[in-house]
Amino acid sequence: MKKYLFLFLLLSSAYGVSAQALLSTKSGVAKFNATGGLVKIEAVNNQVDCKMLPTNGQIVIALLVKGFRFENQLMEDHFNENYLESTKFPKASFKGYITNIATVNFTVDGVYKVTADGVLTIHGVDQKIQTPGTITVKSGKASLKSDFSVKLADYKIAGSYIGEKIAAEANIQINCNF
Amino acid sequence: MKKWVIIISSVILIALAILYYVFIYAAQYKRNVNDEKAIVISAVELVYAYNNNEPDANAKYLNKALVVEGIVKEVGQNQEGNTTITIDGANDFSAVFCTLKEADKNIEVKKKISIKGVCIGFTSDVVITDAFIQSKN
Repeated sequence: MKKYLFLFLLLSSAYGVSAQALLSTKSGVAKFNATGGLVKIEAVNNQVDCKMLPTNGQIVIALLVKGFRFENQLMEDHFNENYLESTKFPKASFKGYITNIATVNFTVDGVYKVTADGVLTIHGVDQKIQTPGTITVKSGKASLKSDFSVKLADYKIAGSYIGEKIAAEANIQINCNF
Repeated sequence: MKKWVIIISSVILIALAILYYVFIYAAQYKRNVNDEKAIVISAVELVYAYNNNEPDANAKYLNKALVVEGIVKEVGQNQEGNTTITIDGANDFSAVFCTLKEADKNIEVKKKISIKGVCIGFTSDVVITDAFIQSKN
């Protein structure tokens, strides 16, 4: 009986160490900034869905374009109707791997520099990208941050907004707390 | 002479109207779902519709005001401090995920709820944003 108990404890402790469950959040934040002139063109999305597997670094981020909120509603409508065509392409996503996930120790507090490699889909166009980011571990909780730019032309985003100047490259910031 | 007065005053009026549109209306106009007529649907039906046929469901519900009824599965908080509510969709992989427009600390799990908000699409959950609570018990 004692032997079995020991075996059970051994097995369960081994399980605890090796199996790092899927990290996920549904309320990640994505910020978008394409200010090219005097008028700021920026928006926030608070409903970013992010799943990450610490064992192999696999990561899937999905967000809904209609979830971006601008200060100015007319700008938001233009963004949805003329630029991102969000009725036709409601989703944007990133699917890929954090290539150096082995350098992140999820049990030790710290800020770890990581690189993600994968496919970014915006406006129905897939592009391979490599982007830097950080994983922060603090008292057992992990969070993921990334800050990168995309060329709007790469995703066939074009429109004719009168007045405001839109930058050719948009800055995107992702912040997910697991 | 009278003709000129009419022409000049109408030009001024048009200019004022344009200025109003550009600087006042454009800056203040905000969509408010509370003023919109909504489609009433249960969370279970909505989750089924999206899992069954996403393009069809988008054609019916995307960007529309919805009143979603169901049982609270989970309550959370986003990074801005707003309340998020997951409504059970009778599906282990998919539910209705709502973010409220204003934080509400009195929402209980396993209780009935009805919320009104804008449907912005489907990730693995149907996502509702800018939501208001219609009723709860």
